Amino acid sequence: MGGAKNKRQKREDYRISLREEGTTELPRKKFYRQRAHANPFSDHQLIYPPSPDQMDWSSLFPYYVTEEDATEAEDSTPEALAGQGLQPVEPKRLSKDVEVADIGCGFGGLLIALAPVMPETLILGLEIRVSVTQFVEDKINALRGQNQEKGLYRNIGVLRANTMKFLPNFFTKGQLSKIFICFPDPHFKARKHKQRIVSTTLNSEYAYVLRPGGIVYTITDVPDLHGWMVQHFDAHPSFERVEEEEQEADPCVAIMRSETEEGKKVERNNGQKHVALFRRLADPPYGEVE
Amino acid sequence: MALPYHVLTACGRVIFAARGGNIYSFSPDLQHLSAWKYPAKQAKAANGSSLEAKASPVPEEPPTKRRRVEPGKEEDSNGNGHAIEGDAPNAKGNKQLKKEKKVQDLSHRLFEQPYIQSITTTTNGRYVVAVTGSDKTIWVFEHDGAGNLKQLSSRTMPKRPCSIAITPDSQTILSADKFGDVYAVPLLQSAADQQQAESKEATPAPDVRSATPSSTTIAQPFKPQANEFTVHTKRNLRALENQKLGLQTKGGADKPAEPAFEHTLLLGHVSMLTAVVVGVHPATRRSYIVTGDRDEHIRVSRGAPAQAHIIETFCLGHEDFVSRLCLPAPAARPEVLVSGGGDDHLFVWDWTRGALLSKASVLAHVQRVVPQQRNIAVSRIYACPAGHGEDGSVLVFVVCERVPALFCFEFKGNTLYYHATIATPGNPLDVTNVESGSSSPSPRLLLAVDTITLAESQGGFSLFWADWEAALGWRLRSCQETPVMAGGDEPTFKPEDLHKILYTTESLRKTTDFE
Repeated sequence: MGGAKNKRQKREDYRISLREEGTTELPRKKFYRQRAHANPFSDHQLIYPPSPDQMDWSSLFPYYVTEEDATEAEDSTPEALAGQGLQPVEPKRLSKDVEVADIGCGFGGLLIALAPVMPETLILGLEIRVSVTQFVEDKINALRGQNQEKGLYRNIGVLRANTMKFLPNFFTKGQLSKIFICFPDPHFKARKHKQRIVSTTLNSEYAYVLRPGGIVYTITDVPDLHGWMVQHFDAHPSFERVEEEEQEADPCVAIMRSETEEGKKVERNNGQKHVALFRRLADPPYGEVE
Repeated sequence: MALPYHVLTACGRVIFAARGGNIYSFSPDLQHLSAWKYPAKQAKAANGSSLEAKASPVPEEPPTKRRRVEPGKEEDSNGNGHAIEGDAPNAKGNKQLKKEKKVQDLSHRLFEQPYIQSITTTTNGRYVVAVTGSDKTIWVFEHDGAGNLKQLSSRTMPKRPCSIAITPDSQTILSADKFGDVYAVPLLQSAADQQQAESKEATPAPDVRSATPSSTTIAQPFKPQANEFTVHTKRNLRALENQKLGLQTKGGADKPAEPAFEHTLLLGHVSMLTAVVVGVHPATRRSYIVTGDRDEHIRVSRGAPAQAHIIETFCLGHEDFVSRLCLPAPAARPEVLVSGGGDDHLFVWDWTRGALLSKASVLAHVQRVVPQQRNIAVSRIYACPAGHGEDGSVLVFVVCERVPALFCFEFKGNTLYYHATIATPGNPLDVTNVESGSSSPSPRLLLAVDTITLAESQGGFSLFWADWEAALGWRLRSCQETPVMAGGDEPTFKPEDLHKILYTTESLRKTTDFE
């Protein structure tokens, strides 16, 4: 018991010192470790907007905040709501929207590797574990500080969220062009399969936030989970598998293989890596298939 | 204390009222017409001691689902999906079972009784569909128009249905369940299905192609999915070896049998579903499935089974659970949706665009009845045309859990205007509109009221009429003629148990709030 408390105290001290000193030193993982699994069904103390237009992105991407005043937006408020004073305060807008999401970003290896590759695109990492999210946040801040003059790492951000439940609270229909699902929790037991991040019913939500032509990237070291993900995306009419040739030509695939923290761990253990990409197809007009 | 009527549905000139697992039918002047009783055999099976479980006790295995047993923390009938409980008095040496059994007193059993949780009728009134909660069963009846119900089928769903809807063509039942999935089951079973049900064969029904393949249909013998490459720690490796060893000796665990009738998975949320309605697009006349869940979402998906995986939009804005969805004017304004739940307001949406049209406060009016009320849980939203519909206005009635009043709103334009509060002598449980047959210009409501909170003066009658009179406003009249059904075999309840059975909406609220 005493030991545990000691550890917690050390962690707190470390994080406070990191904040106060405002150093650009990278955070150390050992102060942010957390159990690798989280139950996606439980009600965590999550913070999320009721809808995407009420999401305040300004703290995540401060360099992209626009300074336009909100009078323009007010005109579009429905009268009934404006009259009742029920319209929520408009959050600050960004000059561009998030287009790439790394679902279950873990310690953020992929995010950080992608940032310089797609400098014009806003990339968001989503992670359900608090400490791990904190680590990524601290790391991004440190990296931004280190690369102040080059202006690097300003296009990435991290957020604590349960994407299985609240993805549509953050993103509008067709907002994303890429979704990364890297080394997800395999949930081996058959009873826990509904907790898997890829399932037939949940794929419909990925299809909703992805624009036609957008791509879901998956990678895992568990052959059966790979089979499961391929099977479920293949079976979903909104997705088609990307051909191997095109897959290997995609620069993101190489990064995903080598730069994710879990990918490195698998590398060390001589594990296998299974990659599959799926393209979002355009929805057929309603009524064509009866 | 006996159960009050807790579900009311009017079907033409017949009123169906459910009490416990039984459905009673009445004429508009509340003459008792007929009754359907929950089959006793099934009641016993659902009540616990499943015979097979008794016959083959597996000593080293825990019961399939562990029940939470601390009294106070007992989940209500809504949040408690485990129907079967090992009673197994002869399973000696089974510590786990014994321990559980000890803590359970008889009253817990009452929650596991299959109570009717909803009654839905097809538009032509020929078929009646009822759902019982703890046994996860959907019952379909043929209705002769005079209150007599003939049971056609009873189908046990894979998970507990929370809300059902019937498609506009009256061919299909959509069942939204606690697991977050929406299944389509045909209203009338095919002949082959029925035969199968009779012969009690466990062979699964022919796999119906839907765009959303059910993940459970991919039945394969169990095989560990981890391998030496994916397991890194010493302990996990050992666990994997043990798993493999166990497999050789046991030959794999068997999976729960798939239901033997046609059922198609259409769509699913990760959260528990609470409501489902089918909307028809005003321009294209195409149908859409609108689902509400415990995590504040209202999702609009295409209604055609082959395209139900396509999400058209979300209606987002609720900040607490959604418990009820209602299309207030399905004919004149099919695009309008009213939703309510744990929020202080009712929300009015254009579901075709996912756009919020207006909000109407309910809490403010509740607080005039119960000043100390902090938050509300909307348990019913019921809409009916005001008068004979000459001006197209619609009355929307709202029941909030444990609030002794019915709240009436008028829907006009895009807004719900507060109209009246109808104080009731006890907490209302359900409300329905009964065709009076006379030329009275306003709707006549039948209310079911909770008997625990009912004032003594009412003499135990739990049904009330509410009529609108221009000079006096809403006038409430108790239905003295209500046949009191209490027979010798009626179970009696402690008031606190009755509360847990009747009030299940508030428990949807998340308890991990910062407040």
